[in-house]
Amino acid sequence: MRLRGWGGLMLALVIAAMSGLPLVVKSPFALDILIRILLFAFIGTAWNLLGGYARQFSLGHAAFFGLGAYTSTLLQIDFGISPWIGMFAGGVVAMLASLPIGWLCFRLRGPYFTIATIATAQVLMLIFLKFRDFAWGAEGTTIPNLGDAPLMMQFEGKAPYYYIVLGLLAAALGITAWIERSRIGYYLVAIGEEEDAAEAVGIDVPRIKRDIYMISSFLTALAGTFYTQYIYFIDPQTAFNFSISIEAALVSIVGGVGTLLGPLIGTVLLETTSALLQSWLGNSVGGVQLTVYSLILMAVILWRPTGIMGYAAEVYARRRQSPASG
Amino acid sequence: MADALIVTNLGKRFGGLRAVQDVSFTVRENETLALIGPNGAGKTTAFNLIMGFYRPDTGSVSAFGREMVGLRPHDVCAHGLARTFQVAKPFGGMTVVENVMTGAFLRTRRPDAARAKARDAVDFVGLSTRENRPARDLTTIDQRRLEMARALATEPRLLLLDEVMAGLNPAEVDQAVALIGKLSGRGLTIVIVEHLMRAIMAVARHIVVLDHGQKIAEGSPQEVVANPEVIRAYLGSSYAPAAAGAAP
Repeated sequence: MRLRGWGGLMLALVIAAMSGLPLVVKSPFALDILIRILLFAFIGTAWNLLGGYARQFSLGHAAFFGLGAYTSTLLQIDFGISPWIGMFAGGVVAMLASLPIGWLCFRLRGPYFTIATIATAQVLMLIFLKFRDFAWGAEGTTIPNLGDAPLMMQFEGKAPYYYIVLGLLAAALGITAWIERSRIGYYLVAIGEEEDAAEAVGIDVPRIKRDIYMISSFLTALAGTFYTQYIYFIDPQTAFNFSISIEAALVSIVGGVGTLLGPLIGTVLLETTSALLQSWLGNSVGGVQLTVYSLILMAVILWRPTGIMGYAAEVYARRRQSPASG
Repeated sequence: MADALIVTNLGKRFGGLRAVQDVSFTVRENETLALIGPNGAGKTTAFNLIMGFYRPDTGSVSAFGREMVGLRPHDVCAHGLARTFQVAKPFGGMTVVENVMTGAFLRTRRPDAARAKARDAVDFVGLSTRENRPARDLTTIDQRRLEMARALATEPRLLLLDEVMAGLNPAEVDQAVALIGKLSGRGLTIVIVEHLMRAIMAVARHIVVLDHGQKIAEGSPQEVVANPEVIRAYLGSSYAPAAAGAAP
């Protein structure tokens, strides 16, 4: 169920169109929404490698988001190291953390795996809440504002942040497109479909899972650093927030798991809906916009369980088959 | 002829149940051996023990001179043993050719080379016209063909087929028998688990009979169908005279 061939072209077009957006969109409010869309599309794309292609349904990606955020912030505040370097250090920390987490969680399949991943993120949050001496405990900390300091990943306007997160998303999509076409891409889908059959045709299932979990964790951690730099604040509740894990999975499910552009499409759909509902209904009865949002979500999942991209692929396949049969 | 697979004193317990006990047999290269017996006799468990899906409590499995016990299934596959499953396990969302490519990737990293090899295997089992269909849309016999193609693409020397004829109609059984003959003609060693005596008589040169996890008989098809113990445990008394007369 992959849209081969024109996936790459579509990707290039989407990225090109998005590069021009800040030239047109000047309102900080609108840019903020766009940055959040790209950020969650990026996290979703990272999640999709493990949760979408290999169907290892993690709800613990906040663990890596938080580790990335804390690593770069600690390096910056305690040692004056630029978040540009800290970002990749955070990626490496998350990658290493994924090894024991994966070692534990991959023993379990299906819902049990999911529950175990939730637990790991919660445990990490508690560790950062309790141990005050090395990471500011529950109060968290603000990032010292240096004004316009590109080398420290700090900017006056919002446009530079937009380009950073767009770059991250483009890189993640590039990696995904490459994986999708290579041997590991076939292996991931095979593992997601039938683990025993995958083993039987010579796939080292634990190794492939471990590798893709490392890549997925690395990318998610980069998002953590970016977000902390963007909001100038970090605390355990923000960095390890369960809603990050949920959002990562949700945008992929709505857009289409195991497809290149699914998480991006899912995020655009969910975030714009949420923003529009907020501006239309936010001033009426409290919480009504969340109720409507949830209803829309349920409708999408009920009617299109394969996501938007899954639906597109079905239509495409039907179009292609009908001239041959008729 | 050299020995392809030597199973010695194989044993496996599940709690109080002795699924397989003290089973030994040898498969020679380019031979087709059938493993038969009533339901629950331990045939599929024996497959799982040979392929590394379960670890045996006792005994050894030696394939082409190398010990397989302790290896994981993908390692066993890399050593040239491939299997199909009793209940076909296709990768449903992938197309037929993509399914087979996952097997071909064992011997090559390059997708184009894997695709070419997968096409050959798909062609060999007679699925070429459906190679771009999603595997979940296939009929039962085509799913079995797909499993065979996927196994073949790993370039096995020994192929273990688990009830590939179950659920097929008589015409399809003939096709499957022909396909197994063709595989054997390519030099493959085959171990087949099967219930259908007609198919077994057509393809097997050697039969091992299991009952309650133990080997109760072994020999040529003619010897086995005439064996009173086998008739009692598995074939039923009505089979004996008919089979003895009809045996080729």
